[in-house]
Amino acid sequence: MDLAFTPEQQEFRAEVRSWMEAHVPKAPLKTLEGREGFDEHVAWERELASGNWGMVTWPEAYGGRGLDLIRWLIFEEEYWRAGAPLRANQNGIFLLGPTIMEYGTDEQKAKFLTPMAKGELIWAQAWSEPNAGSDMAAIRSRAVRDGDDYVISGQKTWSSRAAFADWCFGLFRTDPDSKRHKGLSFILLPLDAPGVTIRPIRQLHGETGFAEIFFDEVRVPVANRIAGEGEGWSVAMATAGFERGLMLRSPARFQAVAQRLVALYRQHADTASPDTRAAVLQAWMDAEAYALNTYHVASQVIAGAHIGAEASLNKIFWSELDRSAHRAAMSLLGATAELRTLPGGKGGGEENAWLEGYIFSLSGPIYAGSNEIQRNIIAERLLGLPR
Amino acid sequence: MDFRLTEDQRNLRDVIRDYLDKEHGPEVLRRLDEGERRDPAIWAGLVEMGIAGLLVPENHGGLEMGLIEAVLVATELGRANVSESIADTALIAAPLLAGDRQEALAAGELRVALAHPINPWIADLANADMVLTGGKTIAAPEQCEALESVDPLRLLYTPMSADADDALLDRAALITAAQLLGAGERMLDLATEYAKMREQFGQPIGSFQAIKHHLASVAVKLEFARPLIWRAAYAAQHGHARAPIHISHAKVAATDAAVFAAETAIQVHGAMGYTYEVDLHFWMKRAWALAGAWGDRAFHRQRVDEAVLGGTLPITPDQTFASE
Ligand SMILES: Cc1cc2nc3c(=O)[nH]c(=O)nc-3n(C[C@H](O)[C@H](O)[C@H](O)COP(=O)(O)OP(=O)(O)OC[C@H]3O[C@@H](n4cnc5c(N)ncnc54)[C@H](O)[C@@H]3O)c2cc1C
Repeated sequence: MDLAFTPEQQEFRAEVRSWMEAHVPKAPLKTLEGREGFDEHVAWERELASGNWGMVTWPEAYGGRGLDLIRWLIFEEEYWRAGAPLRANQNGIFLLGPTIMEYGTDEQKAKFLTPMAKGELIWAQAWSEPNAGSDMAAIRSRAVRDGDDYVISGQKTWSSRAAFADWCFGLFRTDPDSKRHKGLSFILLPLDAPGVTIRPIRQLHGETGFAEIFFDEVRVPVANRIAGEGEGWSVAMATAGFERGLMLRSPARFQAVAQRLVALYRQHADTASPDTRAAVLQAWMDAEAYALNTYHVASQVIAGAHIGAEASLNKIFWSELDRSAHRAAMSLLGATAELRTLPGGKGGGEENAWLEGYIFSLSGPIYAGSNEIQRNIIAERLLGLPR
Repeated sequence: MDFRLTEDQRNLRDVIRDYLDKEHGPEVLRRLDEGERRDPAIWAGLVEMGIAGLLVPENHGGLEMGLIEAVLVATELGRANVSESIADTALIAAPLLAGDRQEALAAGELRVALAHPINPWIADLANADMVLTGGKTIAAPEQCEALESVDPLRLLYTPMSADADDALLDRAALITAAQLLGAGERMLDLATEYAKMREQFGQPIGSFQAIKHHLASVAVKLEFARPLIWRAAYAAQHGHARAPIHISHAKVAATDAAVFAAETAIQVHGAMGYTYEVDLHFWMKRAWALAGAWGDRAFHRQRVDEAVLGGTLPITPDQTFASE
């Protein structure tokens, strides 16, 4: 065990810090869940790419820097420290990218990874269906083989930012006679293909952050399939591992939340109730624990370990930490918590980001596989309890 | 000692509940949300049901009921997500007004907005006929500035100067606690119904223990908030010195139960609960709003804290219902 950063790692941190200080937008962007804000976030992705910061862990050949996971964590710490925007590109770089890296052909890597790292193609995830949420193996949307193409029909739903994204990666039933996990394939397609219709869904805060996608005989080349026909489930499980695990939600994000929460507490210290004070402290302690766990997991991965069902531990921890941190903030704000714009301040006050954050934090225990499902996975696969 | 509701009280609750179920369902919330947000016909219906005059003496045209009845009605208003200022006017302000005003109020001809420094807003100021603040009524201002709440059916305005008034604060906190309880009950109902209907893995999600336990935990929280509200109403009705402490206790419990009900209900709904299309969001947002209204949980916890840990409140079991 060696818990000190090397001089090279420290230099790397300094390099990220100075780039971020020079480039991160001074004013917060509009929400990623709306058209305008989405475009602003895509512009930011391009800016990041111009500094070659799109995805530092990827090989240089694909627009990365070929760095290890420790540097990735350092990068993230500096990213959040600088208050940089959310990643419009998150489905691509954190989920699909690693999946293609593991299962894609060389042609697929060449075709998709570089534009992804550069923020040129923004991806949506098209897995869930109206009757296949937690029970994803109930997927019905089908892809029928016709020569060198698949012809796709069916419906997906809850696809985050599909209303604005360029491409999607989906799971489709390629074997019409198959049941459950068998006979599914992992297929990529452009969202402007003929036969694709997108219907944005209004989320509870009013923005259209996710969408339904309808496929009416959409033609997609077979070459857009990742891994073998009928192997989609195991590919998707690997992707889900990236989603639950250390890529999608790096600790620095929650450490930033905890740090802002502590600052908010200081503003309200004289009126805060002792249990809210305790909740604030707990949020900070949990964010710290999450960081330590992640460094430990990353160290194991660098040494060649494979993360399986353990990703479920992670997903529960970050999503519940995020929710309790924001709940504590709502308590601190008291009577002003419900206001969209906080009173006070020159020129009309600032947007109540804690309220938006609290609402979003309530989706954390639902998306990326609900926490009930994660607890089942932990109980059955890690603890060996009977099904 | 008999902690049951009387038959009349149960009837009152059932009549109001049936009425609101019929006349004030989710489709009404959607219509209001897409339109003017207030509707004179809804107000008129509530007046017709006797809610405006619930607490007004009979000789002024009211039903002359008390605070127990008021919290029962407030719970139903919360359960139905009623947004008209009927709770503020009839259940909070009415007894604090002069006799002739009460007459107009019972007839549904007067709407009162409530101003108190504990809130950074005044609800429904723009359609109020007068404002109650610091124990006095004053004219509603000609102009006021709107604030946007997370709750689309709440109409908030920036405060004009407001004066403190303990009686107003206590009554309002009690009625707000009752509304929170009602909102929590409704969210539990919505989530329970959804869990029976939604199938995954070939069975209703309500058959999974994880879902059962979530919903059962909400039921426990609500069950133990309810008698706190009833005792607080009783104590306030009978002028017990410790009523304010009971009210604070009830507000904290109702807030925690409603916020927990919201978090659990959305979890049970899965992604459906994160949409505007599904009704649940109206009640979640009402719960988040009322949680901070008329004293947030820090304020009310502090009042209980000072009384109990500070030693001013006798805490032996024989004192649970004491009046001093
Ligand atoms: C903000 C947000 C963004 C999303 N983005 C995407 C996206 O980009 N792409 C995509 O494909 N999907 C996306 N989703 C969908 C997400 O993956 C699903 O919501 C999730 O898998 C749960 O499915 P469901 O919503 O159908 O809920 P259901 O499966 O109907 O679950 C409802 C409740 O029942 C519980 N439950 C179900 N089965 C069991 C069981 N066996 N044991 C115990 N409890 C159970 C669940 O845990 C949950 O509490 C998103 C969801 C949200 C909220």
